[in-house]
Amino acid sequence: MTQNPTPTDPEATVETAAEDEAPRLSGPGVLAELAMPALLAAFTIYLVVGLATMRIPEGTDFPGPRFVPGIIAAAIGILVIAQVVLVLRRHTPLAADRRIPAGRDDLEGIAGTVTRRAGLDWPSFAWAVGGFLVFSLLLEVLGWVLGAALLFWCVARAFGSRRVLLDVVAGLTLSSLAYIAFDMILGLSLPSGILGWGF
Amino acid sequence: MDVLSSLIGGFGDVLHPINLLWVLIGCLLGTAVGVMPGLGSSMAVALLLPVTFALEPTAAFIMFAGIYFGGLFGDSTMAILMNTPGQASAIASTFEGHAMARAGRAPQALATAAIGAFVGGFVASIIMVFLTPWLAAFSSSFGPAEYFALALFAFISTSSMLADSAIKGLLSLSLGLGISVIGIDGVSGAPRFTMGSALLFDGISLVVVTVAMLALAEVIYVACRERFDPTVRPIRPSGRPWLSRQEVKEAAPAWARGTAIGLPFGVIPAGGSELPTFLAFGLEKRLDGKRRPPRFGTGAIRGLAAPEAAGNATTGMSMGALLALGLPVSATAAIMLAAFRQYGIQPGPLMFERSGDLAWTLIASFFVAMIVLLVINMPFAALWAKLLLIPKPYLYAGISVFCGLGIYATSSSVADLLILLGIALVGFVMRVADYPLAPLIIGMVLGPLAETSLRDALMSAAGNPLTLVDGPIVTLIYLLMVAAIAFTIITRVRDHRAARHDANRAASDQIIL
Repeated sequence: MTQNPTPTDPEATVETAAEDEAPRLSGPGVLAELAMPALLAAFTIYLVVGLATMRIPEGTDFPGPRFVPGIIAAAIGILVIAQVVLVLRRHTPLAADRRIPAGRDDLEGIAGTVTRRAGLDWPSFAWAVGGFLVFSLLLEVLGWVLGAALLFWCVARAFGSRRVLLDVVAGLTLSSLAYIAFDMILGLSLPSGILGWGF
Repeated sequence: MDVLSSLIGGFGDVLHPINLLWVLIGCLLGTAVGVMPGLGSSMAVALLLPVTFALEPTAAFIMFAGIYFGGLFGDSTMAILMNTPGQASAIASTFEGHAMARAGRAPQALATAAIGAFVGGFVASIIMVFLTPWLAAFSSSFGPAEYFALALFAFISTSSMLADSAIKGLLSLSLGLGISVIGIDGVSGAPRFTMGSALLFDGISLVVVTVAMLALAEVIYVACRERFDPTVRPIRPSGRPWLSRQEVKEAAPAWARGTAIGLPFGVIPAGGSELPTFLAFGLEKRLDGKRRPPRFGTGAIRGLAAPEAAGNATTGMSMGALLALGLPVSATAAIMLAAFRQYGIQPGPLMFERSGDLAWTLIASFFVAMIVLLVINMPFAALWAKLLLIPKPYLYAGISVFCGLGIYATSSSVADLLILLGIALVGFVMRVADYPLAPLIIGMVLGPLAETSLRDALMSAAGNPLTLVDGPIVTLIYLLMVAAIAFTIITRVRDHRAARHDANRAASDQIIL
């Protein structure tokens, strides 16, 4: 996503170009950049705890089961620190960031900093992720045909479709076709759920 | 000729009507997914991977060959018509290809791409037929130290050569490696990082990770981000879908040069066909600069022909490397490797002995898939573009339903669906922050191989690390690795300087405005 310089405020454009020497003016925001290191740090802790509590069978020679995971955990740890330092250094001139006038449609403030990309649409996120979560949990109760249709509707809604009836009909058609093709013809096992009295 | 008789045996199997049907279905499905804007061949393979498990191995693999190559053909269709490459390997095709389409030569551009892909893939397949058994025999002398060196080469090249940021690439790789050590340790039998839960004893399935990272995460990401982009309308191809004799004459040297550039990259674990497509494009551009008048920028047929041929040549050869060495050089090849393992088949030197029939049938199916794809893509490219009429909400809703179907059908476990969602969320964060995904997949697939060979090598040398660099083949691999790293650093620095120069100039232009 490139930034569209509007002719009305050339000053802001000049500032962004000068302050950010990298050619890509629109990197992810600080928060987005730090989310992944945070996740990885959590994963490293999981690995370290796992390493500490691992029970090793008697008579295991060097290098044992801890050897490679230990290297991986150390590598992630060092890389995470390097990445965090890099992100923070690149984003230090926060004041300069803020000088860009807020309210332009390609800018959105997250937690006090300014990202230059179009923001995330959280309702869509919730529909897509929530839809999949509900689908996973209810699949065996509802059965494939209803569960998949529900998932279809939720994701379609996440993508901005508001025609509920049409979406549900399309979802039911797809899920039924998939059931016929994969369960009945190819022999994969899909749950029949509450629709499956006779089967 | 031993090789030829085996190949003819393979053709005998493929040309069986049922198998031919699977090739055709694979090609159609692969092209269909590849044609969808933003979806590439690795998405096609990831989505359809669980579904193929319902088939017997031979049918599954020849269908896979169709899906894989079909995805590549479909990718370039969209790159040309809409300027939306589904995968990095199709980016080089957008430059001149889309320019040709804008200049009203869309059908000829599609034909150039299809023939280029066909030539590259076909030549690669022929070379592969003779090279693969030789490579397999050669690699049967490889010990753990050699395999560790190869895996390390694959790790370094995929994570640092292609990614924008080497740290991000390495982090993605380490995460993949970290996921791969979860489960029972194959050497000592100790359960690792399972929290005592039997669910994790077998580790996290690669199929789950692949579908989560490449398909479901993409759905979530597109749902909440990419709708903000203005929609691009595809150019409707009209007119003759064939090339005139003059056009063929113009494109032919580029097809040949592209193929030649693409071939060697198939056996180097350098992350697949992205690099060779750019190299081929760059070469054509430089050659074009000497011509009067230069044609690049206005839809030069050579600028499209070369990268297409290079991309498919690399892909074809990489299948050979996968079969002979068991070493995937790209994310898609890694997924194929996972598919082999799911059937209990280990690609590598022993594959030609143990399941030689399957290997040769698969190789023969490449040839058939190429021909099928040329037939279904050249005259009917305009029809494929009709798939764009599917509304985006339904397209992505359908993809999520397929993710759920594939994962539940292979394991019948709700826990796997929840793990799928969890990993997809990680994949979502990675996309938001521009982390490359290929290193993660490669790390996860090759992690176990790297770990076992490292430990085997060290154990048999009583813990002496020098054993890892002992031997001519190992030394050669490490030398190549150092050369590759040096090459990357040099190009990086040069690109960075050029970019900085451009940025400064852009900034001063702005001020003048």
